[in-house]
Amino acid sequence: MSGRIEGLGERPVVTITFGGRQLAAFEGDTVAMALWADAQVALRQSSRNGAPRGVFCNMGICYECLVIVDGVTVRGCTTLVRDGMVVERGGKP
Amino acid sequence: MNARILEADVGVVGAGPGGMAAARRLAAAGLQVVVLDEGQRAGGQIFRQLPVGASGHDRIAEPPSHEHGHRLIEHFERAGMDRRHGASVWDARPGRLWFEQGGESWLLRCQKIVLAPGAYDRVVPFPGWTLPGVMTAGALQVMVRGFGVVPGRRALVVGSGPLLLPTVASLVSAGVQVVAALEASSRWRALRALPAVIGNGARRREALWYAKKLLLAGVRLRWGWTVFGCEGDGRVQRAVIGKVDRAGRPRRDTARAIDVDVVGAGFGLVPSVELGLHLGCASRHDAARGGHHLVVDDAQRTSVAGVFAAGEICGIGGAEVAMAEGELAAAAVLHELRGAPIDAALRRAVAAERRAADAMLAAFAPMPGLHELASPDTIVCRCEDVTAQRARAAAALHGSSLRAVKMGCRAGMGPCQARICGPSLQAIANARPDEVMDRPIVQVPLKVVRSETIVDAPRD
Repeated sequence: MSGRIEGLGERPVVTITFGGRQLAAFEGDTVAMALWADAQVALRQSSRNGAPRGVFCNMGICYECLVIVDGVTVRGCTTLVRDGMVVERGGKP
Repeated sequence: MNARILEADVGVVGAGPGGMAAARRLAAAGLQVVVLDEGQRAGGQIFRQLPVGASGHDRIAEPPSHEHGHRLIEHFERAGMDRRHGASVWDARPGRLWFEQGGESWLLRCQKIVLAPGAYDRVVPFPGWTLPGVMTAGALQVMVRGFGVVPGRRALVVGSGPLLLPTVASLVSAGVQVVAALEASSRWRALRALPAVIGNGARRREALWYAKKLLLAGVRLRWGWTVFGCEGDGRVQRAVIGKVDRAGRPRRDTARAIDVDVVGAGFGLVPSVELGLHLGCASRHDAARGGHHLVVDDAQRTSVAGVFAAGEICGIGGAEVAMAEGELAAAAVLHELRGAPIDAALRRAVAAERRAADAMLAAFAPMPGLHELASPDTIVCRCEDVTAQRARAAAALHGSSLRAVKMGCRAGMGPCQARICGPSLQAIANARPDEVMDRPIVQVPLKVVRSETIVDAPRD
């Protein structure tokens, strides 16, 4: 379903928590890409019917990948992972 | 409180081909340059680099033209200037750029501003386009070429224009099976682009490179086809595809379903004009160049003194246009600050690249009939969850201007500020046959930033 392209060099591994579950990511990943590589595609719930939304533009334009990092709502596609980062699903933009 | 102030001769917004070309030339001439870029590394969307520490771009699809881009990145990164990545510009006026970087509020004071913010994907709403796994063609490119992440197992690529080919090539390189690649434009309409491709050595090489890539992967580009809708439980699992007529209207009798787990859609690009409009720069609408774009003179000067523009913000044209315009914009800045003459060859290069790009893009101008893909309950504005039906009701009640539709149903009033729905909002709300939209309505903050950033911003 997803994963990483092999043979693109070694980057330091960091651990983040998403929805209470720990997963490994690479330094230099955005939150959105670390989650996608781990098959986490639903990043927020829409405001009206709670439908799942995920990465859409992946370049900071659309605000569909909003997640909550340390209590602050941020764009998953422009926020870099940090070791120990706690990420929760975002809600209404 | 935490305000930080920078001083420079020139502030350049964007580190894609246009911004890099301008900044490098300005720095080489000895000017103090600050570059503000929202990405984490230089290159922009077209020459996306992998994160620091990762390598092996040769394993991912790299067409011949990217050698040029990577040389430019090398020169740009060696030149002496202040390069600021992860910087979002949220307010501006001539000589001033306010930006947020790493959660801090900054002000750049400069004599001249060069705008090269690039473009983003145009996506026409269709049923199911809000499902996770359905994304822009550009998003797939960033995933593969920017991060080395595999998008899925079975992909559908839909849209219109020259960028479908690189998207397919990237997916193939990532080991994804491209189940279908659908170009909405007809083969006959696309033939109009042929002279522009054949007559230009670099574009010809590029086209052949992609043709070979697709052939080896067994992917056939289908002309006059598009996506009618996507379905799935929690993420996309199926897509319904079919033929469109010459105006882009779906021919429902041709519909068929395919199993996919990722969909990339890109119906051309939209110039990122927001910052230019906020600065008061004059703009014009040209459907083939992506809609509203800034108007510049023969030295990349906008209508506002001290503000220059290069690349997609002046109308979609591609990386070669952007590089030529970046060089010319830098020469014009040097002319104003140092009295240096502007080399006529730079003007000729811009004119030649623009001619070639316009000839190519004319074959892929937006097709109004594609707006019939949206059903009444299809969400048009993704931020505010506004359906096509509600947008139509608002237009019927309040009027057909962009402002009236926005006020009437909240479409386009979420955090993306109508960047995604704006280009199709009026067409869907009024079922207007043409593609001429009102000028985007922009307001501060141009990007969503922390309230502390605004409160702490130095006022001058």
